Amino acid sequence: MNISYNWLKNLIDIDLSAEDVASELTRVGLAVEGVHPHGDDFVLDIDLTSNRPDCLSHLGVAREIAAITGASVKAPAVSDEPEIPLPMVLAYDVVAINDPELCHRFTARVIKNVKIGPSPAWIVERLEAIGERSINNVADITNYVMHELGQPMHSFDNSMLVIADAEKPAAIGGIMGGLDSSITEATTNVLLEVAFFKRENIRQTSRKLGLTTEASYRFERGVDIDNLSRASDRAAELICEFAGGEMAEFIDVYPTKAEPRYAVSYDLPRAVERLTGLKVAGSECLRILNSLGISQSEEDPAAFTVPSWRYDISIEEDLVEEITRHTGYENIAEELPPAFGAGEYQDTEIRKRRLRRTLIDLGFNEAITYSFIDTKNDERFEPVPGLLDDNADEKFVTLQDSVIEGAVRMRPTLLAGVLDAAKLNFNQQHKDLKLFEIGKTFATKSGEDGLPTERELLSLVITGGDANAGRSMTQRELDFYDAKGAVEAALEAVGLSNLVFSGGDVGHLRSGQAATISSNDRVVGSIGRISEELAGDYKFKQPVYVAELDLQSLLHEETSPALYRSLPKYPAIVRDVSFLVNRTVTFDDIRASILSQGRELCRDVSFVDVYEGKGIEANERSLTIRLEYRSDERTLIETEVDAVHAE
Amino acid sequence: MSDEKAQVEAARAAFINDFDRFAELNLDGRSLSDAEGILAAVNELKIRHTGKKSAMAATKKLIGKVPADERGEFGQIVQAAETEIVSTIAAVDEQLNEFISKAKIELERLDVTIPGRRPATGHLHPITIVRQKIEDIFVSMGYAIEDDREIETDYYNFEALNIPEGHPARESQDTFYTTTGLALRSQTSTVQIRAMERRGVPIRILAPGKVFRRDTPDMTHVPMFHQLEGLCVDKGITMAHLKGTVTEWLRRLFGEDTKTRFRPSYFPFTEPSAEFDFSCFKCHGTGKYENDRCRPCKGSGWIELGGSGMVHPNVLRAVNVDPTIYSGFAFGFGLDRMAALMYEIDDIRYLFENDVRFLEQFK
Repeated sequence: MNISYNWLKNLIDIDLSAEDVASELTRVGLAVEGVHPHGDDFVLDIDLTSNRPDCLSHLGVAREIAAITGASVKAPAVSDEPEIPLPMVLAYDVVAINDPELCHRFTARVIKNVKIGPSPAWIVERLEAIGERSINNVADITNYVMHELGQPMHSFDNSMLVIADAEKPAAIGGIMGGLDSSITEATTNVLLEVAFFKRENIRQTSRKLGLTTEASYRFERGVDIDNLSRASDRAAELICEFAGGEMAEFIDVYPTKAEPRYAVSYDLPRAVERLTGLKVAGSECLRILNSLGISQSEEDPAAFTVPSWRYDISIEEDLVEEITRHTGYENIAEELPPAFGAGEYQDTEIRKRRLRRTLIDLGFNEAITYSFIDTKNDERFEPVPGLLDDNADEKFVTLQDSVIEGAVRMRPTLLAGVLDAAKLNFNQQHKDLKLFEIGKTFATKSGEDGLPTERELLSLVITGGDANAGRSMTQRELDFYDAKGAVEAALEAVGLSNLVFSGGDVGHLRSGQAATISSNDRVVGSIGRISEELAGDYKFKQPVYVAELDLQSLLHEETSPALYRSLPKYPAIVRDVSFLVNRTVTFDDIRASILSQGRELCRDVSFVDVYEGKGIEANERSLTIRLEYRSDERTLIETEVDAVHAE
Repeated sequence: MSDEKAQVEAARAAFINDFDRFAELNLDGRSLSDAEGILAAVNELKIRHTGKKSAMAATKKLIGKVPADERGEFGQIVQAAETEIVSTIAAVDEQLNEFISKAKIELERLDVTIPGRRPATGHLHPITIVRQKIEDIFVSMGYAIEDDREIETDYYNFEALNIPEGHPARESQDTFYTTTGLALRSQTSTVQIRAMERRGVPIRILAPGKVFRRDTPDMTHVPMFHQLEGLCVDKGITMAHLKGTVTEWLRRLFGEDTKTRFRPSYFPFTEPSAEFDFSCFKCHGTGKYENDRCRPCKGSGWIELGGSGMVHPNVLRAVNVDPTIYSGFAFGFGLDRMAALMYEIDDIRYLFENDVRFLEQFK
């Protein structure tokens, strides 16, 4: 909001420069964002907080200066000409408050024989300084008085008002006047409306119409209901003086009286000290409050009368804030609270840090993507098991609307986001990519409390070549086993090393290159190459591997503690064997089958290599495994091993 | 003895004759393989002239055959001849080996500026980096890190935070609502309520987390961002403790000379309320950096960071804490803004695009 320094000086004596006024106002909470010269004037750009509508005028700002400097606010002169009341019959023709709940007070003043024309230069200049355009003398004066006293008002052409269409409102009270009844050059009789509308109602109407005006802005925050007739007088007087009118009838309908408001404090200095540590004398507390128009009640010294323009004061803490900001926040000490106890991380944070660190070391960059995604992803991805509630009518959490086109679905998967990120990087010619994200996913939950499920997942995407740092040539193409290795390494870092990967179909993964991941016999996620269809949707031309795991569940599983096993006393002998196997036979099958034979000397079966392609039938692959033989009693000799191996 | 002497002389002469071509050996401009060839030839000469079957070896056998009185002299003659041959060869041998060794070193000289061989490592997201740094500071100051739901009821997002129905801060133009009328939390202050319900008071928590507001993305706005909320409630907590705590953690993050500034402000859930600024970490509050206008503080020397205040009595009452016995402070600020400041990121949309050229800049 713009405030003119010269205008302020009409309302209060100021010895401070405009710059000093600005820094003092900022100090007490009226943040001055800038001081701009305007001719011989300075304009203060004040960023007001929403609780201070009383400062949306020069009068309001002058009150704050009064509390800072101790000077008194000079009220703009208002003549003491006797009011000419409207005959009651006529009054209710003009003014009918259908709903006193919404319109608490309404005043109307008729000014006759007005000559609409340009405003005097000083009004034009004042308005220009604060960024307001001059229209005509009457409109300018109502605008001027609003900026001076904070009271929005509206001038109607009184004759047009009478003939105004009953169907069409002459004005949307508190927001804007109607065209039919607005002031024109032909207007001679002006009806000046100054009213008070219920704040909430103005806000709703303004939102509904998508219309915010200077008037609605003030009404919805709260104007001073006791200031109506004074503002009306001030405007009428100026109109008479500068538009040649004559003061005529006045009516003030005030059906919903504002109740006096009090804030209670039994011991202000103590309250101030309790909340701020500041020691402020009782007399100083009263001085500050009085200068802001807050007075101690004569009947009850604990009751402080809140002025009609302050809507933000109702309790002792509010009084404390008034005293504190005018005493100066800079005078509050800096102290640490007394020692308390040991701090702590969230229960999974230390392990998540290890997990993150492991993935970073494996070359993954951490992504953070938006929590809302497009609904077209609903069918594209198969969420982790247990996230969606089969009993819920609507599976997904949906926003009423979004600021990003189409993104109204609260994500049930992180994959849509990380794949979008992969696409963005592909478009930047960055084709070798490892990304992960840890974040919450959402799904509707049936049942009583109705709050959606929020579950933290880990997702990763891996594609392109294996790159070394600082070297442009990639070593080899990344594949399924790189993704699997990353998942294994990351979870091993948090104490989970017995994951089971089983081949199986997953909605968004390519059949034959997909696996579910289980821990303690429970499926916790999936891994694999994205399906042809999904790759087509994203226009990916290279294989892309993804994994998604229910991190929240995994991190709450018990980890197996590390236990020492005595070191082998005798050396092992290893034998590598190649099998030509049907593709349906897995490494796990072979391993399990060998170990199940229970050969005492055969200690381990490990993977060496796999070959498929040229020279081997299409439905077969060559699998090389290593068998480790060892005894705890003696050094094995070759022939002994050969004998067991042969079996 | 003259025959024997002649034999020694002949062996010596044969050596000199053979060795002649290496006598004044100049290796300038010769290659490593030239030198290795010569070395092989020299070694062959050595064997030929000092080996067991050499003429020189044969002369040694003559020592016993010369008369005893001449044996000493003859022995010296033989010894001298042999020493001459051996040392002559040794000198060339040394020259060659030195040359070869140097040549090999030259040949194997590396370009040490070529990058070391290591797997490419990734990078934490800048938000994570900043969050972890600040969490570490607060844990060391006795705070428990907390987080809670991101989709909240009206009660937790607004009502319990003293933002009643009809309050401007509740406008749906700022808050995302689900089709069932739940709110995406618009500030991490919701965790204040949840944590006090769970833990009771006294309490000291720091709650980092995602928050959501209906802002169309532009250089300084994104619809999802991260906040950090601190809360301390106990008997006798004052604004002085708020100022001290905020100043302390900023000093631990940005250095001992960091100053803070608190300005009166308004938030529904605090009273009194304050916004806080800190002296710019880059220009140390001078507003100038290397004679230019300092970027993070835009030349003002101060960086506006967040909001704070004394917990509103209505908030304490909402969690059944008696505001006449307990008081507390709360403060909050944007992690994304903090990251943008620290790394001088001029467009915060980058934080959620995940372009690896961006992500790889942060350590």
